[in-house]
Amino acid sequence: MQPTDSTGHPSRFLGWLPTLFAAVLFALSYTPRVQSGEVLTGSFWAAAAFLVGWNALAAIVGRNRGDLVESTLRPHHYIQALCQLAVFAYWGWYWRPVYDMGVLIAGQLAFAYGFSMLLAWWRGGTYRLGFGPFPIIFSINLFLWFRDDWFYLQFLMLAVGFLGKELIRWNRDGRRMHVFNPSAFALGLFSLILIATDSTGLTWGQEIASTLTLAPRIYLFLFLVGLVVMYFFSITLIAASAAAVLFGLSAIYSAWAGVPYFVDSEIPAAVFLGLHLLVTDPSTSPRTPLGKTFFGTLYGLGVFGLYAILGAAGAPTFYDKLLCVPLLNLSVRGIDSLVRGLDTKGVVIPGIGGEAALVRRAAWWSPLRLNLAHMGAWILFFGIMASTGRTDGRHAGDSLPFWEVACEEGRRNACDRLLQLEATYCSDASAWACNELGAHYAEGAIVNGDPAVSRALFGRACELRFQEACLNLIDDTRIVRGEPRPLDLRLLLREGGRNLMGIPESELLTKACDHTWAFACQRAASAG
Amino acid sequence: MRDAATGGSPADRLSVAAGAVALVLAVWASLWIAESRNSATGETRPPDVTLPGDLDGFRPDLFYLPDDSLLGFVAIPEGPFIMGSDPGVDRLAFDLEWWGEGRVQGTVELPRFHMARFETTVAQYGAFVREANHPLPNPGSLSAPADHPVTSVAWTDAVAYARWLDGALRENPATPPALRLLLDEGWRVALPSEAEWEKAARGDDARIYPWGDQPPGNRANYRASSTSRVGSFSCPDCAHGLSDMAGNVWEWTRSPYQPYPFDESDDLETAGTDALWVMRGGSFADNEQFVRAANRGGADPGARRAFIGFRVALVR
Repeated sequence: MQPTDSTGHPSRFLGWLPTLFAAVLFALSYTPRVQSGEVLTGSFWAAAAFLVGWNALAAIVGRNRGDLVESTLRPHHYIQALCQLAVFAYWGWYWRPVYDMGVLIAGQLAFAYGFSMLLAWWRGGTYRLGFGPFPIIFSINLFLWFRDDWFYLQFLMLAVGFLGKELIRWNRDGRRMHVFNPSAFALGLFSLILIATDSTGLTWGQEIASTLTLAPRIYLFLFLVGLVVMYFFSITLIAASAAAVLFGLSAIYSAWAGVPYFVDSEIPAAVFLGLHLLVTDPSTSPRTPLGKTFFGTLYGLGVFGLYAILGAAGAPTFYDKLLCVPLLNLSVRGIDSLVRGLDTKGVVIPGIGGEAALVRRAAWWSPLRLNLAHMGAWILFFGIMASTGRTDGRHAGDSLPFWEVACEEGRRNACDRLLQLEATYCSDASAWACNELGAHYAEGAIVNGDPAVSRALFGRACELRFQEACLNLIDDTRIVRGEPRPLDLRLLLREGGRNLMGIPESELLTKACDHTWAFACQRAASAG
Repeated sequence: MRDAATGGSPADRLSVAAGAVALVLAVWASLWIAESRNSATGETRPPDVTLPGDLDGFRPDLFYLPDDSLLGFVAIPEGPFIMGSDPGVDRLAFDLEWWGEGRVQGTVELPRFHMARFETTVAQYGAFVREANHPLPNPGSLSAPADHPVTSVAWTDAVAYARWLDGALRENPATPPALRLLLDEGWRVALPSEAEWEKAARGDDARIYPWGDQPPGNRANYRASSTSRVGSFSCPDCAHGLSDMAGNVWEWTRSPYQPYPFDESDDLETAGTDALWVMRGGSFADNEQFVRAANRGGADPGARRAFIGFRVALVR
């Protein structure tokens, strides 16, 4: 262990680096964004105070070992971080809350540096100063933020991620290393807690998952960013096999059931992001081609299965991409052993492995060439998916009338999806959706009848001035339905959160007609 | 994980244990926070309602309804009445009170019904909130004295109260026999229609105010700053002996707001329009023009205002 600072010289001053990061946090707490909420400001102060307190305690007990700092600049840190930053920049251009998060992410970075430094010193280790915290913080923030009133839990989540990285370790290939991808571990654990306590509302999770598609051609963008990561870190097989499994299963389900598996896409954009930038940490994934393929395949299967399980349990389905990663991390050594076993037996799966067999039989396939070949196959595959409208572009499941028809036709899960969509739009204050949902509960045809629930829904719709709902509320011997009002359409057609409040009504009707709302087509035609 | 648990040094195992404890603590803290959040916002707990042990003239055992054989419901006989205003007689009449079809007023035939003598009180609504665990978005609804009219209730709240009271009276063994008989005959508690309200307020002789054509004077709570106790304004000349049909609080009805002539059978024609429901009677904050029996007010069904309350009726 070399006791040096980043310039190679020992320095006791570095022992107070965490306090310097606390000062940064404190300074950031006076920015307008952090000052916008008392709890948010308090969260920053509490995080800063925690770092200062721990640093002081470490000094008292002689563990603020600032002399144990090494500088390390690892490509898999800064290249990954740059790719994540590109996603933030592009996404944020179309959904401004992302840019508003900038200061909060900076605060998290300061906390992460201070916390991980103190944790390393407290355990008698060397802190490696580099860009390590960047991909962890960026990765967490690409998937989950706590709302301002609960932001202290964001700092807690970071702490859990770093604790998991530092404390939960195993021997792998003769090296002592962390078991879990730190960001995925924190995200997975907190997702579980949020689901168990029905507290998803404390986070921006749902908005994050649904607003990626506000950025045009987001799949193409993620694909291009993913190519960079694939080139440098050879994770092509992980991402590609996960995507192939998801595209494949989604297509099979669609062909069988007649409705899309994921409501409004073949692969949700956030899952597409996850399979490029969340699950692909080289340190916590297999290293052999066959192992990577298994790993990616398992991720695809995991997301596919979890989506169904979460949906059936009534939990938000956007957690599907987060929950399975820690379990996959735990399976890495098992996958390594399995692959080694196959390799020893000389099993070769055309195109992907086993590695030793491939090396023996085609020596000119260097890892770089092999990865480029995999990338070529992935580019071809994505090109086919994109050109057949399975990535960016309109999707049948975007339209609520599609689900109404599918439900009437008795398509598998279509009525459940219809109810879910109506519930979502109702909670977004679409009076029409509340009335429709209330009608379903009153009729008891596609869901168990529940007069109390239907009245509550009619009441909500009525207070939103949907007259049909008021008529239903006052006389429950008949059901009155109506067409969505312009305000409803502005909510129903926003496809992931786009603000349609300002667009002219004629444009709104045209858009509604594109989404197969028959009444809108008639009105647009008569107006035009 | 197996290496971490068994293959490392004692220090490593200690670290793993410490990490596990930290994670458990994090989970526990989050659960605790989520629970406190639910408690703080009142999402899972019923509203905290304090009700008086006794209230003069009302029955605490029967949801603080008036203490008589019909629990405050007064019979309004069947028959015609004149609805709307003749500006030749009533110079304060608004245009929207004109009947249309070339007439200033219309004659409406109504079957017998029963009208509550008093506006629904804070105590009565409080009993409903407590018994039915009904949401209380505006805690100010129950801040007035128990025998004042409840205010800051939406039309949807009023409808919910009427539906709850109907069920509660049927289930309660203390319901007086005379009222139980009516319920058994098919009468039900509901908001009055606009026509029922007006007939109950002005009687059969087309009077401008519940007591006659004279200005209110000291017969009603109007041009004031707050509500008054229900029935506190003596009005021996008032039609059917009902109290506060002029002033105190606006009263929700079960009629959607639409132009005259009045016809309850065309209520469904309001589907597709923005919801607006009729309220009647004016409030403590209004002048004599607004507390006339024929005056019509309209409000969003979600409006919760300090001058809007309601009373119920027995109809079938």
